[in-house]
Amino acid sequence: MTKAKLQQLQQVLGAPVVTGTMSLADWERIGGKKDAEIGDYVETEDGVRLITWTEANELQYIQTEAKLTPLEKELLRWALRQQSGKPGGGTDLERQARRLGEWIEQRILSGQTRAEVPDWLEIRGKLFDGMIPFLLQNDQAGDREPAYSELEKVLRSFLSDEMLLVPLQEREWLILGPDRLLLEVDSADSELVDHEETKEALFSLATGLHEMFTEQWGGECHVAVGEPIIPTESLVRAVSELRETIHLGRKFHVGMQVHMPWAVHLERLLNDIPEAARSRFMEEMMARLDLFNDPETVSTLDAFFTMDCNVSETAKKLYIHRNTLLYRLDKLKQEAGLDVRSFNDAVLVRIMLLLYKVTKRK
Amino acid sequence: MAGVRLEHVYKKYPGSDKASVTDFHLDIKDKEFLVLVGPSGCGKSTTLRMIAGLEEISEGKLYIGDRVVNDVAPKDRDIAMVFQSYALYPHMNVYQNMAFGLKLRKFRKDEIDRRVREAARTLEIEHLLDRKPKALSGGQRQRVALGRAIVREPQVFLMDEPLSNLDAKLRTQMRANISKLMKRLETTCIYVTHDQTEAMTMGDRIVVMKDGVIQQAATPEVLYNHPINLFVAGFIGAPAMNFIPGQLTEENGAVHFRATGINVEIPEGRAKVLRSKSYVGREVILGFRPEDIHEEPVFIEASPKSVVNASIEVCENLGPEMYLYLTGLGKDNVIARVDGRSTLKEGQNVKLAIDMNKIHIFDKDTELNVFEIE
Repeated sequence: MTKAKLQQLQQVLGAPVVTGTMSLADWERIGGKKDAEIGDYVETEDGVRLITWTEANELQYIQTEAKLTPLEKELLRWALRQQSGKPGGGTDLERQARRLGEWIEQRILSGQTRAEVPDWLEIRGKLFDGMIPFLLQNDQAGDREPAYSELEKVLRSFLSDEMLLVPLQEREWLILGPDRLLLEVDSADSELVDHEETKEALFSLATGLHEMFTEQWGGECHVAVGEPIIPTESLVRAVSELRETIHLGRKFHVGMQVHMPWAVHLERLLNDIPEAARSRFMEEMMARLDLFNDPETVSTLDAFFTMDCNVSETAKKLYIHRNTLLYRLDKLKQEAGLDVRSFNDAVLVRIMLLLYKVTKRK
Repeated sequence: MAGVRLEHVYKKYPGSDKASVTDFHLDIKDKEFLVLVGPSGCGKSTTLRMIAGLEEISEGKLYIGDRVVNDVAPKDRDIAMVFQSYALYPHMNVYQNMAFGLKLRKFRKDEIDRRVREAARTLEIEHLLDRKPKALSGGQRQRVALGRAIVREPQVFLMDEPLSNLDAKLRTQMRANISKLMKRLETTCIYVTHDQTEAMTMGDRIVVMKDGVIQQAATPEVLYNHPINLFVAGFIGAPAMNFIPGQLTEENGAVHFRATGINVEIPEGRAKVLRSKSYVGREVILGFRPEDIHEEPVFIEASPKSVVNASIEVCENLGPEMYLYLTGLGKDNVIARVDGRSTLKEGQNVKLAIDMNKIHIFDKDTELNVFEIE
């Protein structure tokens, strides 16, 4: 069950709802019947526990402290059975992918990000080869959520027949593409691609995916891409990291739609700093922050940091003369007392700029 | 092919007090090349994104052809977009990049092939069809991105700063290529740029925007010669129009404009307008373009009532023309665009004459051009 649906249920019941997994043996031990089915429920000390999904010897459940009448329990049983029947119209692969998605969600919710894909998930057999994880969040307002089968078809055609589409939360999908796509990006025959080139290729693949989805298909979206993984081993960790990457990207870099975990290290750190400490830093720097009201200063600094503080490269990127850039940097030095050509001041200005972008929107 | 109509369109983001686009009302004719121009944050890209379906319209109606498309998904609007980033699909070759959109729409193979090859011929990239994007130059990639849009044969092209990732030389070249291409394709095109030169050279019509509001929508000639307000006058034209705040006075039966270092007589035809609108005696802003202040002796002799004296602070010789940065006329520098062969030098005092038939007078409070409003 997705986080959004859990929240909706909490609102309906007016009490917290948690999810969990347990073995069928444990289910019987707490009073559940032997041939457990979706929708079955038992009363426990902590409230009512209802099965949302069963597989081999394991089951997943939701539990609520709400005092439910017999009629309410029967209604919930009915609703859960309807829900479980929903993917029934899809292919086997879709059902398997949905189960994997739910399993990933539950591992993330319970903080088990290092969990490995268990044997009882049928799809596990497809998750042993190296794959590139993409996380796609579709923001298109007022539009219906694309059907799994439609989206899968488009992505197969775009990436490869070997790709795997895993629905996660509402309008959020994990896309696993074969890692040989990296070689297809490179027109050279070389099979050996260095680490930096890999990152560059991953970024271009994610940008291409974003462009395709936005223009040709589903409208506005955010895409994050990670380095290739063996999904059986690190799928949960990858999803969790990519989700955090999109969150940080949206927070610190408004306007960017393609995000990479290796490009948000500083943002992650700043995000973890307590609000009070951040506010104090910003208050101390307040006089200098006026500079950021000028869009030209902000775009100049953004480009300067993107180009690793290289004056010539920054000037080239901005299509301005080197002397014009030097003039702008000198002006900043005069007005704010900070020379971004010196390491310490550059660090300070970079942090100010990142925090300014976040606080400005509050 | 189709026209586009925006009927009192607004865009307001949740949590924001102010609309990003306010009462955008415009008819874009079929086959028209319309340019949206304005400074960063003026709402031009938001407007384009609403047309594309990437942003929801908060209020108002959007028509493509005869159809209201407010609630139509981007892919079903029959539009093709080219953005600044123009990210190509890196794992596909040029042919596959151009064919993908058609493949997705289930076109027949021979039709896909025909369209891709025709577009490639038009864009002169036939020899690149087997190459991957990584092996292309910036200009070639840009042409592939255009090709990807062209093969769709959409009703409307939407382009958001498609040239801003190119260097200056290539940009000029691509500017001409896109203009030519759009004329040949006879398709409606809405083009967003912050570059007024791009706007002036490409657009059949230009919409100048500021703070989410249309300032003026007109042909390049009208915008340049008859700007509706101070903002449009200052935004269109490089170097920008000169502005001098001062006062209109009545002297010996004629209307004069007076400011520090300047006292010029306004021609009778224009003076009549100023009198009828009760501007005489009021503070106003005088505007004139750098090419409308002259140093040629013949012009000075013929215009004794608009002669001014100034000193040259900086001379910028661009070859065919020279920019003089003058002091002594109002508080700020005034720029004069003179012949590149002029012998004038920095530090020199110079006598010039303003072409008073080309001046503009702006209301100091409303900033509207007094000669252009009813």
